[in-house]
Amino acid sequence: MKPFAYSRETGLDHALARGKEDGVRYLAGGTTLIDLMRLGVEEPSTVVDLRALPLRDIKADGDGVQIGALATNTEVAYHPLIAKAYPVLSEALLSGASPQLRNMASVGGNLLQRTRCSYFRDPSSPCNKRMAGSGCPALDGYNRSNAILGVSSSCIATHPSDMAVALLALDAVVHVRGGGGERAVPMGDFHVAPGSTPAVETALQKGEIITHVTVPASPFAQRSHYVKVRDRASYAFALSSAAVALDVSGGVVKSARVVLGGVATKPWRATEAEAELVGKPPTSMSFDAAGAAAVRGAVPRTHNAFKVELAKRTVARALRDLVGKA
Amino acid sequence: MKNRLIGTSVPRKEAFDKVTGRARYVDDVSFPGMIYGTTVRSKVARGRLRGIALGPGIPWDEFVVVTAKDIPGINAIHLINDDQPCLADGVINHPEEPVVLLAHPDKHLLEKARQAVVLDIDELPAVHSIEDALAKTAVVWGEDNIFKRYTIEKGDIAEAFANADVILEGHYETGAQEQLYIENNGVIASYSEEAGVTIWGSLQCPYYIQKALIPLFGVGPERARVIQLETGGGFGGKEEYPSMIASHAALLAKKAGVPVKIIYDRAEDMAATTKRHPSRTVVRAAVMRDGTVVGLDIDFAIDGGAYSTLSQVVLSRGLIHAAGPYSCPNVHILGRAVATNSPPHGAFRGFGAPQSIFALERHLDEIGKYLGIAPDEIRRRNFVKPGQTLATGQVVRDDVDMNVLLDRALEAAGWGDKKARFAVENREEGSVKRGIGLATFLHGTGFTGSGEKFLASIVGVEATADGHVRVLAASTEIGQGTNTIFAQIAGDALGVDYDVIQVGQPDTAFVPNSGPTVASRTCTIVGKLVETAALGLRQTLLGSGLLEEPYSSEQFVKACSAYVARSGELRAYAEYKQPPYIKWDEDTFKGDAYGAYSWAVYVASVKVDTLTYEATVEDFVALQEVGKVIHPTLAAGQIEGGVAQGIGWALYENVVWKNGRMANDRMTDYIMPTSVDLPPIRALFAESPYSYGPSGAKGIGELPMDGPGPAIVNAILDAVGIGIPRIPATPEVVMEAYLANTSVTRVCRATEVARG
Ligand SMILES: Cc1cc2nc3c(=O)[nH]c(=O)nc-3n(C[C@H](O)[C@H](O)[C@H](O)COP(=O)(O)OP(=O)(O)OC[C@H]3O[C@@H](n4cnc5c(N)ncnc54)[C@H](O)[C@@H]3O)c2cc1C
Ligand code: SF4
Repeated sequence: MKPFAYSRETGLDHALARGKEDGVRYLAGGTTLIDLMRLGVEEPSTVVDLRALPLRDIKADGDGVQIGALATNTEVAYHPLIAKAYPVLSEALLSGASPQLRNMASVGGNLLQRTRCSYFRDPSSPCNKRMAGSGCPALDGYNRSNAILGVSSSCIATHPSDMAVALLALDAVVHVRGGGGERAVPMGDFHVAPGSTPAVETALQKGEIITHVTVPASPFAQRSHYVKVRDRASYAFALSSAAVALDVSGGVVKSARVVLGGVATKPWRATEAEAELVGKPPTSMSFDAAGAAAVRGAVPRTHNAFKVELAKRTVARALRDLVGKA
Repeated sequence: MKNRLIGTSVPRKEAFDKVTGRARYVDDVSFPGMIYGTTVRSKVARGRLRGIALGPGIPWDEFVVVTAKDIPGINAIHLINDDQPCLADGVINHPEEPVVLLAHPDKHLLEKARQAVVLDIDELPAVHSIEDALAKTAVVWGEDNIFKRYTIEKGDIAEAFANADVILEGHYETGAQEQLYIENNGVIASYSEEAGVTIWGSLQCPYYIQKALIPLFGVGPERARVIQLETGGGFGGKEEYPSMIASHAALLAKKAGVPVKIIYDRAEDMAATTKRHPSRTVVRAAVMRDGTVVGLDIDFAIDGGAYSTLSQVVLSRGLIHAAGPYSCPNVHILGRAVATNSPPHGAFRGFGAPQSIFALERHLDEIGKYLGIAPDEIRRRNFVKPGQTLATGQVVRDDVDMNVLLDRALEAAGWGDKKARFAVENREEGSVKRGIGLATFLHGTGFTGSGEKFLASIVGVEATADGHVRVLAASTEIGQGTNTIFAQIAGDALGVDYDVIQVGQPDTAFVPNSGPTVASRTCTIVGKLVETAALGLRQTLLGSGLLEEPYSSEQFVKACSAYVARSGELRAYAEYKQPPYIKWDEDTFKGDAYGAYSWAVYVASVKVDTLTYEATVEDFVALQEVGKVIHPTLAAGQIEGGVAQGIGWALYENVVWKNGRMANDRMTDYIMPTSVDLPPIRALFAESPYSYGPSGAKGIGELPMDGPGPAIVNAILDAVGIGIPRIPATPEVVMEAYLANTSVTRVCRATEVARG
């Protein structure tokens, strides 16, 4: 690992001032950053530790909830305000990583975690995301874990977060602080598809700090569910996942959320799938139709073609489980 | 001799140091002036090396750079054929082939420098599959890409096939598998003109490394010393490979004039070092309507990678186990180990046997399905019995009744109940289907054929000044319990407490060559020598007048110490002697392939999710007859660990090849099961003592690798009626088989033999 300076900031303004300097990286749980530094993918000259900032609270916010950016994945998953009112969020968090990692990982860091594309994580390999213009070996290389939706000819890397998929289904908003003050970014705008600039992954500007995330109350939040299909029961990223939420009244779906994980370059809201559900009774038939609609336009490659069928089935299963559960 | 320690679960000798963090692994060790080494490897599979350029931006004058030209002796890793160079010189035969070595005190700069070396290689056509190697799409080794060819013949195969009711043919494949020991390969080397080379490292076989260093440096054994440090697992992956990394570190140390440490990171360890041989087997079975297999014609091929290394030995074990624990009177087995342009495949727990056993055990279920005979029943109709012969003509001397083992395993697994319950449940709606499957097999203890005779292993025991007894052997503790069982065996032979026995560090300067730590031989073969040597020491002590029977442990220690004070030293040695009945013909593969076998019945219960095509093992029963259980906890641990590794091989661990290189060389992409993925593994033992093992013990280290693959895939067949022909049966493979609706008629060609 390349040697680096370390500092721990206790005030948000101080931290923001440090963040403007070149070569600075913020540190939260470190479960993404330190790994990437070990691999030589990230080589910051200074690491600014945010963990002493007062950004760890989880509290009621009107009818909704506010989650501090430094709250750990474990704290969020088991918090009484969340486990009951937002089951999809708890389930998504608990399906991720391992207990040890969840105890360290923070909400802010989780949103900003980097792709697991193996070429990205190997500095001796080309990769457009790591080194603009160097090429994308995943296109014709080993691409089993890569994306089938939201892809471009520059990059097909999957966004690996489970939590972000659930937050998008819940219409969450990310609150950030920068030199120019505070901004609120809806989850749907927070992550961006690679296009021709795969290095840009989020709407976050240089030096900005995520302070908290708000999750509003919604008619479908409580009837929500996360299904994750992975290669093994723990310690594995999603091959395909679905966060689904339904507002059913009078035997008819009033509103729906279908968000895919593990198959797209960012948490992927499948609005066409939602449209298949709304206005109809929640039946297996509409669930299958929603599954099919969710993967419309998918671009499969050599090793990930199975994801098209798998994502379909994941959506249908999540909806079926959700209705069975209620 | 009375057993007081054997058969009990005494604390492991090295456990305290390991759990308190006191144990020192190679990366915990440092020497004054020590620097770090790294390896520049080929990215292409095959080609001609035209030049090596040291790229810009690196202070090269600070680096130690070693190429093939710096090798003082012969540029080969000495093993069997010596065809593998230590550093590529002119030709490249696989991706990750080492070409240049670099050393520097700064690890970070070292990595930048590694990336800055440019290898100028003219690519040549390469071979990447067993079929292409056999078809000679390019000739990449010798004249025909074949490292070795063996055959086994028994009875009259033509006659059997002419007179059978049915002939069924099946094609089966098994994938490569990475050993994934917790501790990656790593060594430290130092060099001086007087002492020669010294190696400290994570390794299984100190004397293999010494043998490799001697010709490489052109020195005698007294100037090539190898010391094993605490080792975090091996599974075969540290059998032959450490000779490579040790040679590299030693070359750098010689040129640098200071000690050099090389530790591979996980990606390098996965991509560049040895793996289990991929295999493909065609089984043709001549069968009678009642399920009796009257003829077996097996074509077994393994992919050895670019150099021959141990492939011929892996092949022979695979071949000998290919016909299983059955009495089939007419057998023809052709075995071939072929060359491809991937890094050499090597030793891995099971050593060829899991591959050939997978094919036969899968095929038996396909035969049973075709004939309408249950999996347990078809095996009962074919089991070998004591006095009958195995495929090599070896008469079974072990007192074993496979029917009794089968009864017990089925009972423990709840076979009948589950069969009935699953049949009902699987008819219900829902995507989850369940099944139960089994495999019955044997595994030979120790080296094949005359291997042990040629090894002529030696073990010593010596008394220390304070009256303890130290075992001197090159057999290594790699987490499996060598030190503990040696202490139990020596303790019981001497009639003393466990604490009286110590086990010396394997160091070629101090311990005799007890052979490599491989082939399930350490307990039976080396353990027996420990017992014999200990009995020798006891005899000397009793004869000296310092000790009289009966004696207490304290009296023994006193006597020992007195003897050393009087005579300076007290040592005894034992050398391996082959059991007199063993007769083996290496040319015809006829005779007693192994002194004894361990016998087993494994039963797997599996759940298949037909929506995601995931198969999960829900319950596992592993019953084996092992002669004698020396240490119940360690023995169960070997079985549980082996079954877990077998489950990985069967369902999860998929090496993806891209032009001969492992494409998924990290643990996020190469999926190894975690504890959450594993079922309860119930290890059960039967004991029928083997007269040439210590207290009757036979080998168990590799055995548990053989059964899980076929038992699990047979359970999938039971659950969903789909016969999967290859492992790992990842969801993609299950999906493919499912959509193609693979059934016995696809997997096998069933020919109703015309009768006139
Ligand atoms: C083995 C393994 C398995 C995993 N499996 C899963 C899985 O199955 N599912 C899943 O979703 N995730 C998984 N993860 C990823 C894990 O969830 C993330 O690493 C974690 O959430 C990151 O949080 P952190 O606090 O440790 O981030 P850090 O590593 O501390 O930071 C990550 C990035 O975010 C920046 N950052 C952190 N906090 C802030 C902030 N408040 N404002 C601005 N920038 C900030 C840092 O500068 C850094 O660039 C896994 C990780 C590992 C190592
Ligand atoms: S998919 Fe994206 S991250 Fe992966 S190699 Fe291509 S550009 Fe890099």
